[in-house]
Amino acid sequence: MPSLFTLVLQIAVIMALCRVVGSLFRWIRQPRVVGEMFAGIMLGPSLLGWVGPQFSAYLFPPSSLGFLSALSQVGVVIFMFLVGLGINPKELKKQGHAAVLTSHVSITAPFVLASFLSLYLYPKLSDDSVAFTSFALFMGAAMSITAFPVLARILTERDMLRSRLGTVAIACAAVDDVTGWCILAYIVLLIRAAHTQTPIWLTIGGLIAFALIMIYGVRRMLQHFETIYFQRGALSENLMALMLLLVLSSALCTEWLGLHLLFGAFLMGAIMPKEQKFVRYVLDRFETVTVTLLLPLFFAFTGLRTNVGLVKGREMWMYCGLIILVATVGKLGGSMVASWLTGMPLREAAGLGTLMNTRGLMELVILNIGLDIKVISPALFSMMVIMALFTTFMTTPVLELICPKRILGDEAAATPQVVLDRSQRSARSGLNGAVVELDS
Amino acid sequence: MSRISRNFIIAYVVLVGLPVLGLIQVLKSGRGLAAPLSVDGTWKLQTDASPLSKSPCGNPATSFQNPLLQISQSGKALVLTLSNGAKMTTPGAIEGTKIRAAFPPSATGSNQTGCGNEGALVLTATVDPKSDPRSLVGMLSVDNCSACATVEFRGERQTAQDVKGAH
Repeated sequence: MPSLFTLVLQIAVIMALCRVVGSLFRWIRQPRVVGEMFAGIMLGPSLLGWVGPQFSAYLFPPSSLGFLSALSQVGVVIFMFLVGLGINPKELKKQGHAAVLTSHVSITAPFVLASFLSLYLYPKLSDDSVAFTSFALFMGAAMSITAFPVLARILTERDMLRSRLGTVAIACAAVDDVTGWCILAYIVLLIRAAHTQTPIWLTIGGLIAFALIMIYGVRRMLQHFETIYFQRGALSENLMALMLLLVLSSALCTEWLGLHLLFGAFLMGAIMPKEQKFVRYVLDRFETVTVTLLLPLFFAFTGLRTNVGLVKGREMWMYCGLIILVATVGKLGGSMVASWLTGMPLREAAGLGTLMNTRGLMELVILNIGLDIKVISPALFSMMVIMALFTTFMTTPVLELICPKRILGDEAAATPQVVLDRSQRSARSGLNGAVVELDS
Repeated sequence: MSRISRNFIIAYVVLVGLPVLGLIQVLKSGRGLAAPLSVDGTWKLQTDASPLSKSPCGNPATSFQNPLLQISQSGKALVLTLSNGAKMTTPGAIEGTKIRAAFPPSATGSNQTGCGNEGALVLTATVDPKSDPRSLVGMLSVDNCSACATVEFRGERQTAQDVKGAH
């Protein structure tokens, strides 16, 4: 068992590096989360393990990784709750046909292209313990995801949340994430069912029953949180603890039913009351510890599992390049073409495609699940992490190129505006103030 | 039905419906693809290292009595870790049912002279794809060393329960 000293040292090093690299990335006008993801990779075998293997072995002995993993998973569970909290189904319903079409195309285009790519990659990067269907569906889900919180953050920073582009992007990202997680749930079920004796119909039945209880039963009870908040102006520590307990219980239920912890946490967030002040209040209570302490542990844990050294030789780098190309063409191209066909000007359509191509942390969450259930191999995991970093990194500069603030300023000037604070801006755009402070 | 709704339905069918049909077709055609045999995981090897220990280059292998072999697999590319106290890690590959990997002298600790071409410890094995749990037979030998005897081994892949129990 690793000493407490080792664990605390790990946390200190991870936090310090994430803050430093995150700040450096902010300096080059990148979201902090990209820097933190990069810091995680630096701590793994790709850099620290390569440059200083002895120090790496001292800092991250294999026996200590279980504790680091457990802590980071708790962070991701809370993070997924916050992501679910930020999604407001009522606001999504307000979007017109164009947004519906764009969001669905932005899922299907990368999904189909990824499945085509799977025909090529499966014999090269997978093995016969993974069925092609699972492999292709996972690749599709992983490539069609959008980092809803990072995207929201970028839009806030660029003062684009109120614009048509911002509104459509947020709606599409939310639809993409919900759809992506549903598809992922199906894949996890397929794969886990093959390794358990519980019949799959029983698992699916249990999950449907759980979802119905949550949506039609627990959801009503959750309204009391909002009512008490508006009566007293705050929630007591006991109520916050109860909320956290409900999140953990929901996560445990989905894990026990054969799915994964994160789905329960996400569902709990999605069915929480959506009044903007209440959502902002809950976010403020949870996100400081989650974002500054627990998520960096997740980045480090992901980095420890990412070995860029496995992407060795021209052939492997070609696969990696293909993955980046297909992910970008599918997501950026698909969203752009669909929104352009539905009447959005070409420049805005290209901006939307660029925003939708942001994968960030959500991609890492999905990839870790894929590696856990062994649907992707370590080398493919590393390639997909590189893809996630690349597509997230490219968002800000490409967006600046396509939609410079100067042009957005002209657009904004054409419509009457009032100066709004952040929560108001978020609320008006349908975000309920739910921009998780990933990169503030 | 209004013109806008009709156009929306047409666009939806073309941009979403058709690709979904394409996806179904891809999933169907992909079922016929063959991926490399799965050897990923922890293997418990049964071996007698005594012949190798008597050879001039066999010293590094004497410590590997019934070692554990951990294989991390990415398609045909493998990373093998042979451990029994000390650990040796090296890349390898699987072609069909054959695994091949060479542990360099720097990994085995052997730098004696007369040990052939750099004295690498070569692992070759054949996987039985029909066995459950999956098993393999193979041998450890010293590269280009005619005086060195080989060590044969048999291995069986550990289940998740076996691995948890071992820890």
